[in-house]
Amino acid sequence: MTVPALKAKDYKSGIKAVWCPGCGHFAVLSALTKAMAHLGLVKEEVAVVSGIGCSSRLPAYIDTYGFHGIHGRALAAASGLKAARPDLTVIVAGGDGDGFSIGGNHFLHACRRNMNMAYIVMDNEVYGMTKGQASPTTLPDWSNSKMTPHGTGIPSFNPAAIALAAGAGFIARGFSGEPSELTRILVEAIEHSGFAFVQVLSGCVTYRPDQKLWKEEVHPSESDLPTDDPVKAAQIIQAGDGKATGVIYAKQFPVWQPENRMDSNLNTIEKEFLL
Amino acid sequence: MSEAETVTIESVEEFLVHAMELEEASYEHYEELADTMEVHNNLEVAELFRKLANYSRLHAEEVHQRAANLALPTITPWDFKWKCPSAPEAFCMDDADYLMSSTKAMEIALFNEIRGRDFYQQVADNSSSEAVKKLALEMVEEENWHVEMLREWQASMQEEQPQEDLDPPNMPE
Repeated sequence: MTVPALKAKDYKSGIKAVWCPGCGHFAVLSALTKAMAHLGLVKEEVAVVSGIGCSSRLPAYIDTYGFHGIHGRALAAASGLKAARPDLTVIVAGGDGDGFSIGGNHFLHACRRNMNMAYIVMDNEVYGMTKGQASPTTLPDWSNSKMTPHGTGIPSFNPAAIALAAGAGFIARGFSGEPSELTRILVEAIEHSGFAFVQVLSGCVTYRPDQKLWKEEVHPSESDLPTDDPVKAAQIIQAGDGKATGVIYAKQFPVWQPENRMDSNLNTIEKEFLL
Repeated sequence: MSEAETVTIESVEEFLVHAMELEEASYEHYEELADTMEVHNNLEVAELFRKLANYSRLHAEEVHQRAANLALPTITPWDFKWKCPSAPEAFCMDDADYLMSSTKAMEIALFNEIRGRDFYQQVADNSSSEAVKKLALEMVEEENWHVEMLREWQASMQEEQPQEDLDPPNMPE
C-alpha cells in the first residue's frame, strides 16, 4: 500500500499557538512544517527540542517527537538525544535569549562539536516572555525597557560571526517576513550533514513594534553565497548590516557522533560513573 | 520573485496548484488569527476571522473539486510564482494586534483579498493559454465578489474606540 505524502499541515499538532497575533514565529512554524513536508520526513523519526521562551514553545505545535527543555539547555538536551539516537532527525529551536545568553556556552560547543542537527534561533532581540528585557542581540541604544531605560550600552552579539568562529559548518540567516525563502533555507539546514545554524529574524510585535520596519530593511545577500571559505564568510558577516538573508557559509567537516553502545546496561553505566 | 518579473503560468494544472496553495494558506492564516484572538479574548474579531476562514475553506474546496481528476505537478514551496514573499492572501500577519478592532481586521482581510485577486488577474494577463486565462478570470470574478462583499461589510461597521489594555506591555512611560 502506498502511503500518501504528508502535507505541511499534517506536521502541525493541532494545539493552538499562544503567541501574540502578528508574531513572526507563526511564519517560522509554517516554514518548518513546509520544509518537513518537502523533505518527506517521517514524523516518528524527527525530534524537535527547545529551551525556554516564546519561540521554545515550537515543539508543542509540531506533531513529531518533541522536548521542551530548560532555559538555555536546548542544545545540551538535543546533543544527548542525537548521541543516543543518531537515526533521528534532530531539530533544535529557541530564541536569542535562550540560545545566546544562558545557553551561550552550549552554542559555542555545539558549533565546534558538529553533531548532525539543525539549530533554528528565532531572533527578536528581546526577552518577550518575561515582558521585554534586552537580550544579547539587542542593540546597545534600545531604551524601550524599564530595565535598561538608557539602553544596555553593550555591543550586541553577532550570532553568525560567533558561529563561524566556533566552527559551525553551516550558517544562514532567514526572515519570518519571507516565509518561502525561509523554507528553502530550513530545507538546506536540515539536509546539511553536521551542525547547521539558522538565525531567523522573527519580529516581536508586542515589545519590539519597531521591528515592523524589518520588512523594508531585510534584503537578500548580494554576494555570491554560500561560500566554503571561512575568511570570505567572516568578511561578509562582519561587513554586513545583519539584515542580509540566505545561506552564508556551507562547508563539510567531520560529524561527531559517539559510538552507540547498545550493549550497555545500567550496571555497566553505573560502574563507569564510580570514581 | 522580484516585482519586475512577470507571472507566467501556461497549464491549467500548474494554475490549480497555485490556486489551491493560495486558498489553503488563506484559510490557515485566518484560522490562526481567529485562534490567537480567542486566546487574547478578543472574541468579536476572532469571530470575524473565523467567518473569513470559512469562506476561504469553501473556496479551497471548490479548487480541489476542479482539480479532482487531473495529475497535478508538485511545486516546491519557494517556487510558487507570486510576487510577494508568501501566498498572496496570507501576507500581512505583522499588522495584526491582539487589541485590534473589527474595522482594522477588515482592512487586513481586504488587503489580502485584493492581493489574491491581483495575482489571478496577472495570471490571466500574461498566460498564452486560453484555458488558463479563462479559469484565472473566473477566479478574478469570484475574488472581486469577495472584495465587494468585504467593502460592504466594512461600510456597515461603526467606528470603534481603541480597547483598553488591562495588562499592557512593560514599556517606559
